[in-house]
Order: sequence, then structure tokens, then C-alpha cells
Amino acid sequence: MSNRRPGRAVVTGIGVIAPNGQRTDAYWKSVREGIGVLDLISREGCDHLPLRVAGEVRSFDPAALIEDRFLVQTDRFSHFAMAAAALALEDAGLGGDIAEPFSVGVVTAAGSGGGEFGQRELQKLWGKGSKFVGPYQSIAWFYAASTGQISIRGGLKGPCGVVASDEAGGLDSLAHASRAVRRGTDVMVVGAAEAPLAPYSMVCQLGYPELSTVDDPALAYRPFTEKASGFVPAEGGALLVVEDEERARTRGVPVRAVVAGHAATFTGASRWAESREGLARAISGALDEAGCAPEEIDVVFADAMGVPEADRAEALAIADALGAHGRRVPVTAPKTGIGRAYCAAPVLDTVAAVLAMDHGQVPPTPNVFDICHDLDLVMSHARPAELRTALVLSRGLMGSNAALVVRRGDDSAR
Amino acid sequence: MITTEVTFDELSALMKQAAGITVTPRELKEAAESPFDSFGLDSLGLLGIVGELENRYGQSLPPDSERCRTPREFLNLINSTLTAGA
Repeated sequence: MSNRRPGRAVVTGIGVIAPNGQRTDAYWKSVREGIGVLDLISREGCDHLPLRVAGEVRSFDPAALIEDRFLVQTDRFSHFAMAAAALALEDAGLGGDIAEPFSVGVVTAAGSGGGEFGQRELQKLWGKGSKFVGPYQSIAWFYAASTGQISIRGGLKGPCGVVASDEAGGLDSLAHASRAVRRGTDVMVVGAAEAPLAPYSMVCQLGYPELSTVDDPALAYRPFTEKASGFVPAEGGALLVVEDEERARTRGVPVRAVVAGHAATFTGASRWAESREGLARAISGALDEAGCAPEEIDVVFADAMGVPEADRAEALAIADALGAHGRRVPVTAPKTGIGRAYCAAPVLDTVAAVLAMDHGQVPPTPNVFDICHDLDLVMSHARPAELRTALVLSRGLMGSNAALVVRRGDDSAR
Repeated sequence: MITTEVTFDELSALMKQAAGITVTPRELKEAAESPFDSFGLDSLGLLGIVGELENRYGQSLPPDSERCRTPREFLNLINSTLTAGA
């Protein structure tokens, strides 16, 4: 396998644990129907905080999905990640024992690590003393925890890594995994899951000027409108199986999509006006790598920050990078129905893009009805369309911008 | 100082509580010479059990206790320490 030319990295498995669906098909159904699940935060210990609305993953039962010995040493963000990784591997026909463990690697992106676990142990530290802090604190709350636990639980011994590059890191992780595949690793399990809805984690977010503190779930997150009042956070995530195209075809599994191109830029924390150029350059870079003309983009999954200045910068960046096509191409932001799960947000969008291409439908942007930018934003109902190529955009509060081009899997492989 | 020893029952419960390992006291006793990792217990898990025992009995355990390889070795060491007093 080592002397062949580098192949394409393709998506063969998808696992989703999202506020609007805890399996891929449930997620797609909600996304397609534009079902909004934003609601008042119900987690214990959070009612006194000014952040009221979020996208919670409710009735998620980690004990039903993950063994106790992994649960005791991990935070909720890793529970989501392990559950989603197992779903993705199963979807790719790689459930059960992995025949060649050294050929399967893991890379995740993480924005905040295991805040809930960390808070519990820090409370023991200051409430009872250092001897009461459990040793798993040393691993559970780090960014790297989910990658490590997915690797250990699945016996996956290929190249592993963690991308800590802000929210857009979710897209960077997909690029990282694709590069690993092109360098010769057979399979990568890749994506992100976050759990930022616990008291300590929420307090950490209160300082973000972009955070929406509107307490009406229908009004809290409305990007591209004159009433845009910031973004709403979410928990959950998605993991994908990315592998070498030739290998996927040899295995005879469906190629869901091709990871065609990616680029990332950095323009500084909360400098939304500057993000216009950064995002435009990321788009151009991703198109370049994909060998894709602007006119080939059939749908754009927007970052949709929900901050007027950031929304304007994004609309302009799309126009800058795609030219006149930028005003015609359907744009959508399904995340307005579930909130932004930080690094997991663009991964969930990538999943939505793959499924949109699969089903020939551009999903709508929930809760958004009247926009004040020159975009063809899909609202209210899904729009049928022949979709061969999708562009996924993401920005982070700390200044990262990224763009990913995904192409529809070859029909002949289905 | 304690007068009754830490038993396989207590160790089994601690393995569940601190490390999420399900092993009955009887299984533990029968395989008392098997290495901890054969039960799925890693070094951080054993460290957590040592910490819990120290808090429970209000007494420090020797550094070697977290390096014990088997349940038998572990119980022998901590019981000789706990029954001897600090």
C-alpha cells in the first residue's frame, strides 16, 4: 500500500450525538425539518446565571452506551465523543474488533475540555482537601481526553492527535485526518464533541461579548437578521470515519463524501471586521486545494455567528471569495436550531452538508425569517437541489477562520 | 488503627467506585494473584483506591501500595500498615 500515489480521503462513517438527534438519521430529520430545540438550560446549578438558553443533549444516557471504567474517568464531553465514535465506526462497517489497530488513528478538536469533571474535583480540593481529589482529574478535563479515550476504548493504535485551534478547529481536525490518510494511514476517526453546559464552564463563557443572553429560545440566536443578539452555546458533537478512497472501495462500503479541500486563517479574537478577509482567504484556499471553481459550490453552510458585525463580515467574505456566485448560492445555518457546540459546531455542519448532498435538500435555518444581508439564506423549509459540492465555514471567538470543501460521494459506490 | 482488615469485599466495592471495575469479591479472591490490569484496573485507578482508603481510615499508606501488582499483594501491604497503626 505504500508505493501507490496518495489517494483521496473520503467519509465512510458518521456518528452524531446532537441536541436535535442522538443518531445520524434523527439528526438529519430534525435538520431537514428545521426543528429548533433551543430551550431554557435545565442543568443543575445553572439557574442563577445570566446565560439562559442553550442546545442541551437531553436524555443522553452514557451508562447505556459506555462501560463504567471509561465513565468514571471521563467528562461528559468525552462521553459524547466515545458514543459518537462508536456510532461512526459501526456506520463505516468497522464496529467490533479492528483487524489492523495500527492503521486506525484518532484526531479530535476540543474547545474547553472537561469542565464539569474539573469543577467536581476542584470543589473537592477546596471543600475537603487535596487528598479528596481523584487521580482521574489528571486526564479527564484536558483537551486531549476524548482522543485518548476513543483510542483506548476502540484499541485504535494509529496516529492520534488533538487540534486545539478554537471553534474552527473542528474543520481543521478533518483536514488533519485527511492528511493522515493521504500519508498512508488507512482510517482516521475524527471530529469533535463538547460539553460546555455546566456551571463552571458556563461562567467561563459569560465573558464573551458574543454570547446571547436573550431568554426566549425562539429569539436568542438569529444570525443575519437585524435582531441578531449573539450566539447560543450547545453541547454534543459528531465523529466521522475518514479513510482512503481506494481502501473504502476495496472494502465495498459506501463513500458518503470526499474531503476535497481545506484552509484556515487567523485574524484575532473578536475582530469580526477583519474576519472578512480571513474567511475569504480560507474559502479561496479550500477551493484551491479542492481544484474547485466558485461556481461549483452548490451550498454554503455558514458560520452564522449571530453578531451583526460578524454576520456582515461573513456575507461579504462569501461574496469576496465566490464573486457573483456568492449572491446566488444557497446558504444555510442549521445550527440556529441547536446552538453552537464550539469545535463540534462545524463538524455537525459537515455532517449536515454530507447528508444534504445525499438527500438533495438544503436544510433551512431555524428561527431566522428576515435577513438584512445580500445572501440567499434558506429559511423555513428545506429546498430541493442537486448538490454535488458543499462549502462549510467556521470561525472561532479567538480569531480562527476555516473553510472546508466536501464533495458528494461517487454514486457508483452506492 | 483498625482491628478488622480490609477485605476482598471492600476492595471489590472500591474497584467499582473508584475505577468502574465490576468484579465480585469471590472472583477477586479466586484471582488474587492475578495482576490488577487483568481486571482492567490501571495505575490511576489503584491510586484512587489508595486515596480513598487513606481518607476512610485517616492514615497514610506507604508509597509502595500504589505499585502493588496483585490484589493479594495490595491487601497484605495495606492491612499490615493499617493494623500496625500510623
